[in-house]
Amino acid sequence: MNVPKTGITALVPPEIIFACGGAPFDVNNVIPASKKYPRNKLCAWTAIWKEMLVNREIQIDSLVVVAGGDCHNALVDGQKVAMSGLPTHFFFYPFDGDPEYLESQMYRLTEFLGSIRYPERFKEVRELKKLGRMIDDRRCCGKISPAEAFSTLISFSDLRGDPGMFKRTIEAIREGDFELDNRVALIGVPPIYQDFHEAAQSLGLQIVFDELPYEFIRHEGTDIRDTARSYCNYTFARPLGLRINFLKKELDKRKVDGVIHYTQFACHHMLEDEVLRKELDYPVLTVQGDLPGSTPQQIKLRLEAFREMLDRL
Amino acid sequence: MKGYAKHTPMPSKAGRRFMIGLDVGSTTAKMAVIEGGEVKYRITSTHNWGELVEGIDKDEIISTGYFRNSVPHKASVTEITAAIYGAGHYFPDADIIVDIGGQDTKVIDTRNNNFVINDRCSAGTGAFLEFVANYFSIELDELGKLHLRANRIPDINNTCGVFALSEMISQLVGGYSKEEVVAGMHYAFARRISSMIPDADTVVLIGGTVKNEGMVSALRSILRRNILIPEEPQIINALGALKSYV
Repeated sequence: MNVPKTGITALVPPEIIFACGGAPFDVNNVIPASKKYPRNKLCAWTAIWKEMLVNREIQIDSLVVVAGGDCHNALVDGQKVAMSGLPTHFFFYPFDGDPEYLESQMYRLTEFLGSIRYPERFKEVRELKKLGRMIDDRRCCGKISPAEAFSTLISFSDLRGDPGMFKRTIEAIREGDFELDNRVALIGVPPIYQDFHEAAQSLGLQIVFDELPYEFIRHEGTDIRDTARSYCNYTFARPLGLRINFLKKELDKRKVDGVIHYTQFACHHMLEDEVLRKELDYPVLTVQGDLPGSTPQQIKLRLEAFREMLDRL
Repeated sequence: MKGYAKHTPMPSKAGRRFMIGLDVGSTTAKMAVIEGGEVKYRITSTHNWGELVEGIDKDEIISTGYFRNSVPHKASVTEITAAIYGAGHYFPDADIIVDIGGQDTKVIDTRNNNFVINDRCSAGTGAFLEFVANYFSIELDELGKLHLRANRIPDINNTCGVFALSEMISQLVGGYSKEEVVAGMHYAFARRISSMIPDADTVVLIGGTVKNEGMVSALRSILRRNILIPEEPQIINALGALKSYV
């Protein structure tokens, strides 16, 4: 059976795409290893997926762009992809969290994708997300390496297009004992570097919380109505105060020693840095990335200095 | 504080624990020791760092700077940690440390363990000053002296080092003297750095660029804070590396 592949640019409920008979594909996941240097860019994340999609270097049948409530660069770059002839749909989260608005957005999404033909897939994805939360818990107890946990959790945006195979991959993860001497939370958009968690770990910082991947495993539902009422609390789309209160609880629960705020060059989330620094009562390191690849030395210097700083506290 | 002449023999190690701080940065290498309570140091170019450690064992060196992990060392620390210990040796109550280096500028807020580094753009680094000195075919240390002879200070608004030079050329064409254009450039440089500095009572300036009195004068007039500068600002990280260990 030919399963249509639906590209997504940020958090689009994968359960809905599976329920409509498609397979989600998070176009961001190819970027860190892409070695692409896009033309006419602001944020490299959107600029690269835009360029690769326009040039048909990523093979998908359609694209869902998250354009409201998160990334505004995507709104423009998504239109360029649409103009290149790829069927494209724009998905909007409500800033005020109105579940009925989000429900209507989800119905529009199902119309774009066809219709819900496999409602049982909602439950299948929900079960898988329980496994994701277990991985997250075990990483926080030092039983799974931060890098392996991140690589698994970041894949929950699209479940690697195949929940069954993804489940087997998760079940194959072997536990070990990992020292957690500097417990760090990574907030903001995910780093564009392919080895950021490994680099942090090698410099004595263990990432025990990844803000955005945690959103991927946190929201779920058994039907559209239910799903809308969970995803309307997607913190990245909501007022900053709500996100900060949520972060404070998670950081406290995980007993972190410090926070790394990753920001992406030309991303509006950079403007949140001063508020986050003021509101979060932890040592905060802000790093900014631009183009994909391995973690640069300048960023490693900051990580190392941050670890030295935490050691002195 | 005392500088060694280039070929002065290193201090004797006999009968005591001997350690040095070695800062091998992007353009210069510095070593510091504390002898009889007094800080002594030597400075050379990065590529000649070996002459600073002649006869000194690897286990006697605490390194810092860009090349900290490439030179022999018993332990290494980042420049941020080294700056905190080094500046703290002279000014234990410093709120903010600004380290203006060859390739980047670091601003460290010691009150709440924060730091920011500007290394995406040359406009606030020693590299930019070198670029300007090169354009005027003068030695780097002449920039400060030229500044002090300026009668007017033209506005140079560009935040990009390369475009700032274009703007300086336009000011020369417009009738400003070399001295005045250099002073304007120092103000542009100082504005760039001041945007990184949080509110504080005292700011300690360190790094080789701080020897440029024109740049410091511009920073003083923009920041309007209590600015403290150690007698030899270039060796603070070497001293700090040593102090972080002993």
